[in-house]
Amino acid sequence: MKRGMVFDLRRCIGCNACVVACKQENSLPDGVFFTKTLSEEYGVYPAANRVYIPTLCNHCEDAPCEKVCPSGATYTRDDGIVMVDDALCIGCGTCAVACPYDQRSQMDADNLKDGMYGGGNLTEFEKDGYGRWTPGTVTKCDFCSQRVDVGLEPACVVTCPTDARIFGDLDDPNSAPNKLIRERGGQPALAEKNTKPKVYYVD
Amino acid sequence: MTNPSPTANSIKSGRWVRSTCKMCLHSCSNMIHVTDDGIINKIEGDPTNPSNNGKLCPKGNSAILRHYDPRRFKEPLKRTNPEKGPGIDPKWEPISWDEAFEITAREIKKSLDEDPRKILPSLEDFQKMHIWFWPLAIGCHNFYQSGGTMCGGAYHPMNGYIHSAFGCANDAKYCNYWINNGTGDGFSSHLHAAAQSNWVAKARIDRGMRVVSVEPRLSIGSAKADEWVPIRPATDRHFALGMSHVLVNEGLCDFDFLRKDSNAPYLVGPDGYFVRDTEKQIYVWDSKDNCAKLWNDPTLENDNLALEGNYTVNGVECRPAFQVYKDILAECSPEEMEKITTVPAETTRRIAREFSEAAKIGQTIKIEDGRTVPLRPAAYNYYRGAQGRKLGAQTNQAFKLVNMLIGNIDTPGGHMGVTIDDGQVDNNHVEMGECGQMLGTPHQLGHMPEFAYPTNEYHLASHFPNGVNAPHLNLLVHENREYWGVEFTPDVIVNCHSNPVWSIQGPREKWVKFLKDMRFIVCVDVVPNEMTDFADVILPSSDVLETWNCTMIEPPHTEGQCFRQPATDPIYNTKSEEEIFYELSERLGCLEAYNSVINMILGFEQKPELQLDLDKKYTDREIARRKGLLWNGKDIDWYMEHGHSVTERRLDKWYRPWEGMRLNFYIEDMLKERDGLKAKMEAMKTPYINDWPFDDFQPLPTARLDTLHTLPEEYNLYAITFKDIQLNFGESLSNPWIRDIVFRDPVHTGLLINTATAAKMGFEAGDVVKVESPYGHLYGRLQTTEGMHPDAIGVSNALSRTKSENTYVAMSGGHFNDMLPYDMENTDAASGQPETTTKVKLTKLDDWPDFLKQGGSIYDFVDELETKKGKGGQH
Repeated sequence: MKRGMVFDLRRCIGCNACVVACKQENSLPDGVFFTKTLSEEYGVYPAANRVYIPTLCNHCEDAPCEKVCPSGATYTRDDGIVMVDDALCIGCGTCAVACPYDQRSQMDADNLKDGMYGGGNLTEFEKDGYGRWTPGTVTKCDFCSQRVDVGLEPACVVTCPTDARIFGDLDDPNSAPNKLIRERGGQPALAEKNTKPKVYYVD
Repeated sequence: MTNPSPTANSIKSGRWVRSTCKMCLHSCSNMIHVTDDGIINKIEGDPTNPSNNGKLCPKGNSAILRHYDPRRFKEPLKRTNPEKGPGIDPKWEPISWDEAFEITAREIKKSLDEDPRKILPSLEDFQKMHIWFWPLAIGCHNFYQSGGTMCGGAYHPMNGYIHSAFGCANDAKYCNYWINNGTGDGFSSHLHAAAQSNWVAKARIDRGMRVVSVEPRLSIGSAKADEWVPIRPATDRHFALGMSHVLVNEGLCDFDFLRKDSNAPYLVGPDGYFVRDTEKQIYVWDSKDNCAKLWNDPTLENDNLALEGNYTVNGVECRPAFQVYKDILAECSPEEMEKITTVPAETTRRIAREFSEAAKIGQTIKIEDGRTVPLRPAAYNYYRGAQGRKLGAQTNQAFKLVNMLIGNIDTPGGHMGVTIDDGQVDNNHVEMGECGQMLGTPHQLGHMPEFAYPTNEYHLASHFPNGVNAPHLNLLVHENREYWGVEFTPDVIVNCHSNPVWSIQGPREKWVKFLKDMRFIVCVDVVPNEMTDFADVILPSSDVLETWNCTMIEPPHTEGQCFRQPATDPIYNTKSEEEIFYELSERLGCLEAYNSVINMILGFEQKPELQLDLDKKYTDREIARRKGLLWNGKDIDWYMEHGHSVTERRLDKWYRPWEGMRLNFYIEDMLKERDGLKAKMEAMKTPYINDWPFDDFQPLPTARLDTLHTLPEEYNLYAITFKDIQLNFGESLSNPWIRDIVFRDPVHTGLLINTATAAKMGFEAGDVVKVESPYGHLYGRLQTTEGMHPDAIGVSNALSRTKSENTYVAMSGGHFNDMLPYDMENTDAASGQPETTTKVKLTKLDDWPDFLKQGGSIYDFVDELETKKGKGGQH
């Protein structure tokens, strides 16, 4: 079992529903994102265009963040999901420097305390969810591991209006992500970094 | 090792409630997760609804924070500060519901007893039509909400004429060639944006549907399209005319459809009316027998109906309607139109040819209900940006005719009518009209009141026989009461889920004065906004997670009812809209009238057992229950379990529901409405009759330029506004999650200008500028891009919020609406649609104006994000 994801760049409409679904599922404070949609303009008018690029933790097989983690907080599950154990994380941020994909976020103590509307006036939603996070830890997307463990897909995947995120087992040659990688020539981002991402892009 | 956290939100111990989203007016089915502690901590799409297929847009994903917004109105409030203005603290004082109702009913009654026309209603709950139409219960036809301005003022009436439906969409199920003109249909906007983008993604990727996007800005839809065709703003009708010129002159039309399924063969006389016999029956020309015959002559065969030529019938010179259009199009070659649109003639020709070829004219398809019908997998859709013109009716019709020429109306793969809410499953929306034609139904939201001079409506509703309400005209009348001969003065505003001072065009400072002239304003709302700053009393409504409802608003492809049920009791001292308006109705003595209005608007009249008793007050739960029963006879327990009754649209209502009738290729009713209005104006000696723009009424579109193109040359750029899926069809900028995504996107934080244009004009990215139209101005910061037409500047709707009590909402440097006109020179007499593009000039400033230096602006927020970048973590 090797869980992974494919982003279909032709499908993605950059709507950011995934981003908000992730923030919702994980009770992420202001400014913290486990997934983002980047956009980039290219070409010259009138032959100009813009591409929307969804990103999240690449769950690398040779994860630089795991290698450099001095406390052992970052580890890989048997199913390939790269996890962070907040209890062990010392918040040194080495992982954030090592990650070539800029996917590590520090849980800012002030943001958790101030709340999204500011002034420490936390909503019931935040009071319910922020307890999940330890201030100062440097964390990231875990493919919604707790959803996955009960047979659900990650929150970003189920909400995606255009089905641009395809999640499944990369060890299974017939899985949806593998089929797509095969049929449309899936490539990881920044392949030259040799981190063996489990996240692929098809165009 | 385990994560020390409690579980992720959606798998905490709790229950799921099936309900319906209301973060915009459309109605996606959702599932709301409530923890054992009663906290709502996750909302997902409901995968059993075939419309949204379990998908939600970013707004739908953000609903929790509307519910828990600390700025919500938590109890009824009374103003204690007599000074009103943007951002001025009303100094609210909490009061009891009884006192709030007492004050509100008393103040409304003072004016109501004198003259119902003194009440200005602004009720905009699109999912609760029975609230919207409450004014009818007090005998008032004023209208002060934004529906009809930036919405489809001309769009809805034209859908009524062509499809007898409220909205329109392309048929994603079969379409293979999809033209979007000034719309994000299938990508970021239009009807049910998340749902439709799911359908369209399947068509694009699984079936290879080609997408061509015609618009001034490289929007999401254009970025995803196979081809972006940049066009000069406000010239989309001319592009459509150019395409039609090619289709007609190169014989690329579906002539069988035009002969059999439209009134294109009907003969038109020199006065523009059809040529009729003494029994009012219309003539056509039989090209085989070479003579005129009546449309229903049994010896006629469709193949022999003349579409072209000039004839004389009973001494009257006449032409088939198709020939009339062909003659108009003679002046509309792609080369001529290029001078207006800047779209290269060869591009227009190629697209027209590709469009016709993709339509597979002549092919048929057998559909599941056993019928064999034409297959026309090419369609042209459009919306606000393209159709919001001074000549809105003609513009909408030009787009419709591109479709009609290839015979794709309400046909698999083609351009479809979309009803607003059928009420019950067996209702068909189409009726036979005169002489074999489908009845045009431009009044999709009810007929306009009878014309009167002096006017009975402050926004001149009765002057627009075809139209949707035109709220900007309230200001026109208010400023020149003598000219319009108005005999009453509205002094009370009843406002519900509406923010007219934000959403209606015309300069803010004038609207602010307008509001200050009111004696009493009551607002029913959830969170503070620009409008509630002017309220005297706040009646706080419960929100979408606390209330009941049942509706489905203009869904493409599907039909049914989406059920809303509370996931929680109200968390504050709030009430449903039904409770509020029933209580007010009782206190105002119009309870019986209100129940009659609801029986009519929601269609309870159709089933006697569902009719409301006139002397009773009903809950939101009971209204929702009856709407469910009306649709499919299922009671509330069934809806509470299933959450919706949505299915794919029944094929007899979706494909060719007008079978056996002729569609309105030529809209003779436009002339009837024009002449009817003129006769009434004459009879009532209306002094401004000679200034009224009767020429706007045309049975076919013309190449006449919209007024804005004639603005003085110093206004050297066209200004357009736009929204994306995070922003459209609702207020979302008060939501932290939306704010967190919108203001990280340079498309929404800068004034978009073509890089080469900026250089030519001596501007650079980052320049702070004043943008001025002849009507108003705004301030902003330039963002250069290759994704804008060189003649245009683009202003996101994210840059529209002005100062208000809700300081969480980041303030912009003014509103695009400030720069739009509110006069008849820029209002379509044939629909009420105002012009929504303008021309502007730019001036570079050394610094921000003072009001943007006080903190709390969008630019402060953006600059703070920039500062945070690179300090570790993601910002």
